[in-house]
Amino acid sequence: MLYIETRSHSIMQLSQIKKDGKFRVTKVNADNESVACLMSLGLLPGQEIRLTHEAPLGDPIAVSFEGCHISLRRCDAGEVEVEAV
Amino acid sequence: MKSDTASFRVALIGNPNTGKSSLFNALTGLKQRVGNYSGVTVEKKIGKWDLGNGQSVELIDLPGTYSLSAKSIDERIAVDVLSGHMEGQPAPDLVIVVVDVENLQRNLFLASQAAELDVPMVIALNCWDVAERKGLKIDCKLLEQRLGVPVVPTIANRRRGADELNAAVCAALQSRPKMIRPAWPAPVKESLALLRTELVEKNGEALKDGELIRLLFDKNSAVRSRLKTPTEQVAIITQTARESLRKGGFNPDAAESLLRFRFLNPLLLDIIERQANLKQRSRSEGIDQILLHRFWGLCVFVGMMYVVFQSVYTWAGPFMGLIEGATGWLQGLASATLANTPVLQSLVVDGMIGGVGAFIVFLPQILILFLFIALLEETGYMARAAFLMDKLFQWCGLNGKSFVPLLSSYACAIPGIMATRTISDPKARMITILIAPLMSCSARLPVYLLLIGAFVEPLYGPAVAGAALFAMHFVGALLAAPLAWLLNRTLNKGRTPHPFVMELPPYRVPRVKSLLWRMYESGKDFVIRAGTVIFAMTVIIWALLYFPRPAELKEEVASQHSNETPAEVGQYIDAAYLEQSYMGRFGKFVQPVFAPAGYDWKITVGVLASFPAREVIISTLGITYALGGEVDEESKDLRDAFKNAKWESGPRMGEPVYNLAVALSIMVFFALCMQCGATLAVIAKELNWGWALASFCGLTIIAWLAAVAVYQTTIHLI
Repeated sequence: MLYIETRSHSIMQLSQIKKDGKFRVTKVNADNESVACLMSLGLLPGQEIRLTHEAPLGDPIAVSFEGCHISLRRCDAGEVEVEAV
Repeated sequence: MKSDTASFRVALIGNPNTGKSSLFNALTGLKQRVGNYSGVTVEKKIGKWDLGNGQSVELIDLPGTYSLSAKSIDERIAVDVLSGHMEGQPAPDLVIVVVDVENLQRNLFLASQAAELDVPMVIALNCWDVAERKGLKIDCKLLEQRLGVPVVPTIANRRRGADELNAAVCAALQSRPKMIRPAWPAPVKESLALLRTELVEKNGEALKDGELIRLLFDKNSAVRSRLKTPTEQVAIITQTARESLRKGGFNPDAAESLLRFRFLNPLLLDIIERQANLKQRSRSEGIDQILLHRFWGLCVFVGMMYVVFQSVYTWAGPFMGLIEGATGWLQGLASATLANTPVLQSLVVDGMIGGVGAFIVFLPQILILFLFIALLEETGYMARAAFLMDKLFQWCGLNGKSFVPLLSSYACAIPGIMATRTISDPKARMITILIAPLMSCSARLPVYLLLIGAFVEPLYGPAVAGAALFAMHFVGALLAAPLAWLLNRTLNKGRTPHPFVMELPPYRVPRVKSLLWRMYESGKDFVIRAGTVIFAMTVIIWALLYFPRPAELKEEVASQHSNETPAEVGQYIDAAYLEQSYMGRFGKFVQPVFAPAGYDWKITVGVLASFPAREVIISTLGITYALGGEVDEESKDLRDAFKNAKWESGPRMGEPVYNLAVALSIMVFFALCMQCGATLAVIAKELNWGWALASFCGLTIIAWLAAVAVYQTTIHLI
C-alpha cells in the first residue's frame, strides 16, 4: 500500500473542499511528488487545513496549514484526502 | 583542526523567504562573487565574511530550499555542497541554517536533514522583529539546549544580530557543535545497514550516513547520479532497501516526513509562547482577500502588469534616448578626430562606439524591469501573480511564473529572458527562454510602422493599418504557444512534471537597499557577460559591410553623378560600396533563398545586416537606396523609394519589388526571426551556446517558412 491512513469517515479530496470550514488530513499519496513536497512542509495525516483561495480560472487553489500559505494545483490536491472537522 | 580561519568555509542554507539572501548580503557586503555551478544554471554565490581580527571565512550561499530530498537542482546542489561532493571541494566546516521564527517547525525540518550530513551547525533565528511584533516569543536558551547547537536571533535586513552570529560562528568553528538527530526505528536502521553493506562496504562508495538516508528516503535521489556503481545495480540495491522498509511498516516515500516531524514536535514543546496578538498574519490574509479575489484580484493584476509593461516600454525611452544621444555625440567626436584615417574612423565610429552603444542602450529597460521584479518578489506579490496566471500556462508544461518574463519580453526579450531566473522549474524556465524571443519586442515596431505606413495604410486606410499593427504583435505569441507545447512534449518526455507547489509568503515592505542591489547585479551581469559578445558581433558585421573598399569605385560613382550636390554624391558612393561589400555580395548570392518570400537582393542584404539587431534594417535600406543611413520609419523618401523600386534583373524585371505581399512577408519574417545578437548572447549565458544556436537556427527556419507562406498566399489573393 502506498497510502497512509488514519481513519475514514465523511472523506473527500482536498481538491473538493469549500472555503468555509476546517478540515483534517486523513490520507496522503506520497507517490505524488507535489504531495511529497507538501509533506516535508508538514502536511501529514492529522494536520488541520483550510482552503483560502481559488484562482480566477478555478485552478490552482491556495490552502493554509500550520502557518504555511501554499498554492497547489487541483490535480495534486486530489491526492490528499481530508475530512470535515 | 585548522589553525587559520581564513581557510574555513561556511555554508548558508534555509527555506525560501526566510531572509537568507539578506543575511548573506549583510554579512559579506560587496565582497561577493556570483558564478554558476558547473553544468547547471543555478547561481553560485560566494562571499568573504570578515570575522574581525583580520580573520575571514568563505561564505557559500546555497539556493533556498524546503528539503534536501534532491528532487530539484537546487536541492541537489545543497546536498552536494554539504556532503563535500561539489567540484572537488571538501564539506564546509560549518553550516548556518537560517530559520524563520514564524515557521519554526518546518524550517527545523531542513536543519534536521542537514544535521544528518554531519556538518557542525549554527542556527540563525531570523525575522525576530516580525515575530516579536506578532507576539511570538521563543525561548532561545531552551531551544539551544534541546537541539545541541547555538541559536542566534537575527534581523537580517537591518543587520541586527550580525555580531552575535559572528561570535557564535567563531566559537562553533572550534567546538564543532552538531544538531541532535532522530533515533530511527529498527526498520529504518536495518534498511540503512543494508545500503551501507551493499554500497559502501562491497562497492567502496564514499557515502556518509546522511547520504545513505537520502538514497533510502528519496525515490529518485540525485545522490545516485554520482555513484560509480552501475545505475541498474544502484536501482536494485535501493529498491531492496526500500522494500525492506515497507515490510517493516513504513512507506518509504512518507517515512521521513512522518518520523522527522514526530521527532521535532516534542523538541518544540514550550519553546514557542504565542500571545493573542496575531495581527500581522491576518493583515496578510486581509490583503489577499483583495489581491487573490477572483474578480478584483484579476483587475489589480492587470493594472499592475500594465504599469510594469508601460514602464519598461515607455519610461525607459528617455534614458535610451539619452544613451543614443551620447553614442551619437561620441561618434561625431570620434568621426571628426579620425577624419584623416577613414578605415579607423569607420571602425571606431560604426563598429566600436556603435557596438558598445548597441548593448548599453538596453540597460535602462533591464534596470527598470529588475526594479519591478525585485519589488514584486520582495513584497510577496510575485507568487500571487503566478497563482492567478498558472492555469493559462499549465497545458503547455509551463507555470504561472512564466507570465512576467513573457510579458516583459514584449518590451525587450533581454530583460525578459533574464527575468526567467525567478522560475524554479528548470524545464519550464528553459521553454520560457526559448519562446521569449517570439514576443514582439519594441525593436520590431519601427519595421512594422514603416511597412504598414507604406503599403497597408494607403490601400486600406488607417483603421486597417491600426488593426494590422495590433495583429503583428500577436503573430509571435500565436506561434509560441504550440511551440511551447511541442518543446514540453520533447524535452519532458518520460519525466514527471516538476511539482508546482508554491508558498504564498506573507506580504513584506521591501527594503530600498536590496532593490537597488538587485538592479545593480542584473545590470552588471548583462554588461559584462552579454556585452562582450554583442560587441564582437557588431564589429564583425561592420567589417562585412565595410570591406572591400576600392578607391576607384568612389571616383566612378562620383563621375556618374557629377551634377549633383556633394551630400547626394556621398550617398550614392555609400550605396555603391554597400552593394559590393562582402555583405552586399553575400546578399546577392543568398537572394535566391529569399526569392520565394519575394525579396530582392536589397531586402536580403537588409535582412542579413539586421541579424545582430533588427532595427538596423531601416538604416541599411536607407543606404542601399542612396538616402543615407539616417532615415527612420517615418521617412517619406524611404517610402517613396520602396514604391519606385523595380526588379533590376530576373524573370520579374521591371515589376515593382514591393507590394502588400512583400510587406507582409517582411513583417512576418521580422516578427519571428531571432535577429538580435543581444538576445542570442543572453540565451547563451542563461542556458548555453548550444541552445542559443539551436534557437537561432530554429527561429530563422520558422521565420523563413512563415514568410514564404504569407507571401505565396497573399500574392495569389491580390
